[in-house]
Amino acid sequence: MCMELQLGLALPGSDTWSRPLLKLGLYEDINVNRKKRGFDHGYLEDEFSAASFKNYEKGLVGWPPVETWRRKKLRCQVHNHMTAAENGYCGGRASNSSYVKVKMEGVVIARKIDISIHQSFETLTTTIMTMFDIFSHFPFIFGSVDENRRSFKLTYQDKEGDWLIAEDVPWRTFVRSLKCLKLIRSRG
Amino acid sequence: MQKKMAYSFPDEVLEQVFSFIQSDKDRNAVSLVCKSWDEIERWCRRKVFIGNCYAVSPRMVIRRFPEVRSIKLKGKPHFADFNLVPDGWGGYVLPWIAEMAGAYPWLEEIRLKRMVVTDESLELIAKSFKNFKVLVLFSCEGFSTDGLAAIAASCKNLRELDLRESEVDDLSGHWLAHFPETCTSLVSLNISCLRSDEVSFSALERLVGRCPNLRSLRLNRAVTLDKIANILRRAPQLVDFGTGYYAAELQPDVFSNLAGAFSSCKELKSLSGFWDVVPAYLPALYSICPRLTSLNLSYATIQSPDLIKLVSHCPRLQRLLVLDYVEDSGLEELASSCKDLQELRVFPSDPFGAEPNVSLTEQGLVAVSLGCPKLRSVLYFCRRMSNAALVTIAQNRPNLTRFRLCIIEPKTPDYLTLEPLDVGFGAIVEHCKDLRRLSLSGLLTDHVFEYIGTYGKKLEMLSVAFAGDSDLGLHHVLSGCESLRKLEIRDCPFGDKALLANAAKLETMRSLWMSSCAVSFGACKLLGQKMPKLNVEVIDETEPPDSRPESCPVDKLYIYRSVAGPRFDMPPFVWTMGEAVRILH
Repeated sequence: MCMELQLGLALPGSDTWSRPLLKLGLYEDINVNRKKRGFDHGYLEDEFSAASFKNYEKGLVGWPPVETWRRKKLRCQVHNHMTAAENGYCGGRASNSSYVKVKMEGVVIARKIDISIHQSFETLTTTIMTMFDIFSHFPFIFGSVDENRRSFKLTYQDKEGDWLIAEDVPWRTFVRSLKCLKLIRSRG
Repeated sequence: MQKKMAYSFPDEVLEQVFSFIQSDKDRNAVSLVCKSWDEIERWCRRKVFIGNCYAVSPRMVIRRFPEVRSIKLKGKPHFADFNLVPDGWGGYVLPWIAEMAGAYPWLEEIRLKRMVVTDESLELIAKSFKNFKVLVLFSCEGFSTDGLAAIAASCKNLRELDLRESEVDDLSGHWLAHFPETCTSLVSLNISCLRSDEVSFSALERLVGRCPNLRSLRLNRAVTLDKIANILRRAPQLVDFGTGYYAAELQPDVFSNLAGAFSSCKELKSLSGFWDVVPAYLPALYSICPRLTSLNLSYATIQSPDLIKLVSHCPRLQRLLVLDYVEDSGLEELASSCKDLQELRVFPSDPFGAEPNVSLTEQGLVAVSLGCPKLRSVLYFCRRMSNAALVTIAQNRPNLTRFRLCIIEPKTPDYLTLEPLDVGFGAIVEHCKDLRRLSLSGLLTDHVFEYIGTYGKKLEMLSVAFAGDSDLGLHHVLSGCESLRKLEIRDCPFGDKALLANAAKLETMRSLWMSSCAVSFGACKLLGQKMPKLNVEVIDETEPPDSRPESCPVDKLYIYRSVAGPRFDMPPFVWTMGEAVRILH
């Protein structure tokens, strides 16, 4: 079929791969070898994000049944992490998701990561590398965990659209200006 | 006659005997034996529990039990927790306080749940009860710190002030300073719900320092991590502690101070709070972890590896509340480390996202059910389930008494077979013969209700959402569940037939809630007319139900038994059905 040919001809890392894969259900085949987190599939282009928040769209009051005060408290915490401030006042910022898109060089499917639960580049990088199964897929090529980490670099796109190296800036600056992340292989 | 009287005990002896009978059920049974026992019993009943504040009037309670010292009242229906009960519905405590102020001058304890409490009520409590000791406001609203100041200032023997999960208008942190210097009686203080970042910390420190019997202290987020050590050093006898923030930049001296303070608390068994946790500070708890029986981390956004490390230090854990960041791997660790676990609650970190953000599935729950032989109570939010997993859980843990499962997306089928989850939940009710509370979710047909009606003989509370095909489902439950007290239903295709056919059953229950179902206005009216001992309340915020045809379904329906007749404090959007009521309207 037309779609399948496109798959064969398109270059790796090209965004045009993502949609046909999902529609044809080919994503399931790619995931077959990933024993870990089988259902935790990647988050694709933003066009799909509207459909994802089904509960909001349906306008379901009181579902899922999480108590109002609990929801408020959790929302407060997401704000606090995003502003990385030590004061606890909950207010000001509009309700934004703390999830950020993460891509890896050479991998088609992007993932999403909750930036609010991290406080350092180390945990963030380790989590991302775990997400992309780097430690299990490349054990013989890259040797120890530390060597693995050194072979990859975490870059990010800031609000101005520039791509920067994450560890070049302080954590708070990074979190505030972060738009999306990309893990690339270190050269040299 | 005289012979009989010679064999009966004098009243004082019977009173003494009855004083050993504490449970309400037993006390009620005693009062049914004969008239004289009823008379003796009612004069010596000290504790009253009223599960629905509208089921009886304050005057009726006072008339029957003239010497009460402790009262517990519940107001709004449970679904109020999820915004399904509109503001202004009711549940006001003031009429009760006003009546009791005159009738029970020696009242010591007031415990309220889901009620509207005003500053006026609190001021009245402070003024009226000279020996007042215990105030518990669980999930209440309508009052401010001004009301609390009145309580603090006037109640000289206050032992417990517990505001858990209440909505308080936090005007100022200075209310704490209203506790007089002579107040040394506090045993329990829970201010975790207070939202502002103000708290008179020095007043709090001094209060804690002068109350040697303080056993339970739950702080709010205004208390920062560096201050915790100060508080703990003043109260090393604490058994239950709720932190404020548990986050700060890692500093070795703060850490060692904190760790030292915790290790000096030799009785500490229960921890909660943990807003904004910095994982690096968790090891400060390690010295007390071996003694911990209860841990509430349900606000802590820490990841599985840190959770696993913490939990593995707590072999005596009986109760764990946690976010789904714990993941299946964390629950597997829990299953192998915590063999005393009795209660597990896993809350969703991202309830409104459609995509799973964590690796938490049915596997985690299966692991815990297998590894923890004492597990009795479960609340679990997840995104997928299978009949096989539910059957396994039921077979592993027939001692479950509470099972509440929430599969986040409504009508989700068994992810392996795509079938409804009827068989799985059926296994739960069949194997867990002492099951008292059950919450259903996922794709369910009338069959699940057949199982519940057949096997759920001890079931007291059932919560249903987006389930069933027809009235038959509701009929199975109402006709089969002999012990049913509370039934709450939303978004199910249950209509008039099952309700009307089982009208008598409703008088044996505390209450029934049905919203977004298919019960017609006509049926509600009929029920209200035929059943004078029931209050049939229709809730509709958009327009009066009689502005539409009688066959139209009502939006929300709340039916409860009552000996007090219809209430008169209803807002404009609540209508009580029945003959007598129509005249009054």
